[in-house]
Amino acid sequence: MIVKSLDPRIERAALDDESKIGELNVHEHFETYEVFQQVKRGTHHQHVGNVHAPNAEMAMLFAKEQYCRRGAAVNLWVVATSNVFVTEYVDADIFETTEDKLYRDPNSYKVMDRINAFKARTSKV
Amino acid sequence: MYGNAYIENDGNKVNSILADEDPIKLAEFEARIAAGDKIEPKDWMPKEYRKQLVRMIEQHAHSEIIGSLPEGTWITRAPGFRRKLALMAKVQDEVGHAQLLYSAAETLGKSREDMTNDLINGKSKYSNVFNYPAPTWADSAVIAWLIDAGAIVNQLANSKGSYGPYCRALDRICAEESFHLKYGHDNVVFLATGTPVQRAMVQEALNRWWEPIMHFFGPPDKASQHSEILMRWKVKMGSNDSMRQTFLNMYVPKIWDLGLTLPDPNLRKNEETGQWEYTEPNWETFKQVINGNGPCNKERLAVRRMAEENGRWVRKALMNKDAVYATPLA
Amino acid sequence: MEFTEKHVEGLKELLYKMADDLLIIGHRNSEWTGLGPMLEEDIAFSSMAQDKVGQSLALFELLHELGESDPDTVAFTRNDNQFHCSQLVELPIGEYDFSMVRHFFFDHAEAIRFEMLADSVFEPLSMVARKFKGEIKYHTMHADIFMKKLAAGGEESFSRMQNSINETFGLALGMFEPGNFEAKLIEAGIFGGEAELQQRWLDKVVPLLESFGYVVPKVENTEAAFGGRHGVHTPHLQPLLDEMTEVFSIDPGADW
Repeated sequence: MIVKSLDPRIERAALDDESKIGELNVHEHFETYEVFQQVKRGTHHQHVGNVHAPNAEMAMLFAKEQYCRRGAAVNLWVVATSNVFVTEYVDADIFETTEDKLYRDPNSYKVMDRINAFKARTSKV
Repeated sequence: MYGNAYIENDGNKVNSILADEDPIKLAEFEARIAAGDKIEPKDWMPKEYRKQLVRMIEQHAHSEIIGSLPEGTWITRAPGFRRKLALMAKVQDEVGHAQLLYSAAETLGKSREDMTNDLINGKSKYSNVFNYPAPTWADSAVIAWLIDAGAIVNQLANSKGSYGPYCRALDRICAEESFHLKYGHDNVVFLATGTPVQRAMVQEALNRWWEPIMHFFGPPDKASQHSEILMRWKVKMGSNDSMRQTFLNMYVPKIWDLGLTLPDPNLRKNEETGQWEYTEPNWETFKQVINGNGPCNKERLAVRRMAEENGRWVRKALMNKDAVYATPLA
Repeated sequence: MEFTEKHVEGLKELLYKMADDLLIIGHRNSEWTGLGPMLEEDIAFSSMAQDKVGQSLALFELLHELGESDPDTVAFTRNDNQFHCSQLVELPIGEYDFSMVRHFFFDHAEAIRFEMLADSVFEPLSMVARKFKGEIKYHTMHADIFMKKLAAGGEESFSRMQNSINETFGLALGMFEPGNFEAKLIEAGIFGGEAELQQRWLDKVVPLLESFGYVVPKVENTEAAFGGRHGVHTPHLQPLLDEMTEVFSIDPGADW
């Protein structure tokens, strides 16, 4: 039966409510691109999501409206998801820092005691 | 715009759901969630967790794309520039939300194409409310205000759930829905405080939408071990009844404040219990609609089939033969 | 130079046709919202439709400042013979090939028109023209990328697009139908005129389309679809207006 719609757009399309279409094919909606947005100059680009797109140029077009349509961006990067190298969460332990890495911590360098002791020692002479 | 998940208990006993899961990994997984940590796409997860999340996020995504249709009914007829622009932006946002949610579901291993196939073949569900028509402009106002309000109640709760990609999508979605809510409220207020014709229009729309709104959060909860597990895993973040209560508590006073009435003589807040009392909506109707017999089910799916079919040559032309496919990251 | 009455009349005529073009094409393109060929493009196309309606509003506001009624009244209460849009913009959306070709032809014309107007001596108009530069740049970028990809997208796509170009070219030329005050506008430095705009548009779109592999009809062999600027329209405009104003006209005096 032809769909009787309250939406004039649908009414014009005169749809058959029993219509059949072929199944969508695998990847018919393209590969994905990861989107990185820079909110203002001087800040880092940040990952905000992805878009499905057939190439980088269109990924840019789509990302601009999907992620920046309420303003606040000066630059975008889009990167094919397949080109992003990702660490595994099971390997998250490689990021753990141990306390014996204090030599990387500026606060672990405390020299005032030594300087004061030195001053005390040399002023006595 | 999404109410609560229609989680179907497959009749499995909890024991059988977890039977073949690695107990050590399961314990780690549950500890992570209990500690308030998020689960990310490639983490180990119980099969049931993945299955229910895919089902829920997919239903949510479908609800957004189908949800663009009832209000889309009025996109070419919005009165005046301000409403015209806002309605266009609002309907567009729903499409944007579908995009975000399909992507979140994809991270769990189901492709956008598979989800779309399941939608247009009628295999997947979506929020029941979108199977109702919007016969007047005021219906679009009531949808924008109250359906979006209901959706926010649900989505805010779900954004505290355990699955990282879904939470991130919901954070973005909730921010945009707050524009919808404001727009919808503004629209209803203009009608309710306008001419007698406008006022009658919005009252009639409200009468029409009340039952679907009450249905929106799903049937009263039945305690089951299954839903207990889903709560523990932070897949389901609130009971249907508690979300319905939250909604009633926030919005019924605002509706009454405009001198509008709701078609339920029993609706009142019990000051002693702090709970809202109401006439149960007809849950048989709910079942009928969700199983395909609502006033617009056929139309909604026919429209999605048309959109996919009409877009096919465009997508085919744009197809990149050298593309390398990978599951979205986050 | 002092503006005479003729200058103001010419200016209003210019603003009306621009505003009407933008309102009607924005309205038409918004019909795709929720029905586009893929989610991401649906969103992009809808944004551009919104931009067009927003731009038309800015121009109706200029008209209001020049003494015309408020934007809603002007946009939502006129009949087709009072509209000055080109016939190109009023046609139904058709399939995506037609909508895309129309978007390409229209947006390049708009981009050049606004570029010319950025130097208009009528300051409020030059300000509006500059304000929307970024929006329009994205629109032509979008159109160019799609036109290029759809040309290279296999036989079906190419022939759909080429047919749409053939059918739409005369309609597009209708955008440059001269107004009643061309000389006045040029002399006062308000606007460089439709003839110059058409030439610059051809210089832009013809080589671009040819570089994508399309064949562009010859101007001298094409009949331009004139009439729209003077209130003569296709049978598609009045039904569009009836639809657009359906709610507003329930009570034009009400606050919606």
